[in-house]
Amino acid sequence: MDFQTALSFALPIAVSIAAIGSGLGLGKAVGSAMEAMGRQPEAAGKIQTGMIIGAAFIEALTIYALVGLLLLMGKIG
Amino acid sequence: MDIGFIARTIKTAAALGLLIIIFGSYYYGFQASLSVFTGLVWGMVNLYFLEKLIRSALRPDGVDKTTALVVMFIKFPLLYASGYFMVTSEYFDAILLLIGFSVVLLVMVLKAVGRTILKLDNMDMSNRKESLKSV
Repeated sequence: MDFQTALSFALPIAVSIAAIGSGLGLGKAVGSAMEAMGRQPEAAGKIQTGMIIGAAFIEALTIYALVGLLLLMGKIG
Repeated sequence: MDIGFIARTIKTAAALGLLIIIFGSYYYGFQASLSVFTGLVWGMVNLYFLEKLIRSALRPDGVDKTTALVVMFIKFPLLYASGYFMVTSEYFDAILLLIGFSVVLLVMVLKAVGRTILKLDNMDMSNRKESLKSV
């Protein structure tokens, strides 16, 4: 197996793992935030702020993976 | 952290972006600093729409469907399509774009660390308790 073939197998798998990981993380964060807001609706603003910060970091990791994919895609074929 | 934290983070990142494009152009060249600045604007727009999306979709009094849908249809095509064109463009350096994108996250972390060290969140809470006592 040459470098390009290995890369064409590895890239989709790597991005899929990144997407699954960030999806799980974001799902858990949203679930916990909704639960916390249900218990304390008056603290919704603070919970949302924490949630936005967490979501931004999770999304950034996915974007890093996506940019890595786009950069390495040019080396296939 | 209070509700205005994200807006303040975006403002600080914008000020930092202006400094980056001024001093970066002088020291590293206009194209490199423009790549970092573009990545920073990308991150700021992403954070702005993410805030709007979460504030409209995750609320105790139900989802604001219209706003959530509008923001979703603006955010995802804007973020990913523009990101794709910027990364595949030969004008911008992808690594510098990512550095600019990360600056917003860095600003957020540093502001949060600063608030923790200065105990600003605790101060808000004690002020609130004092004001409640006075009432």
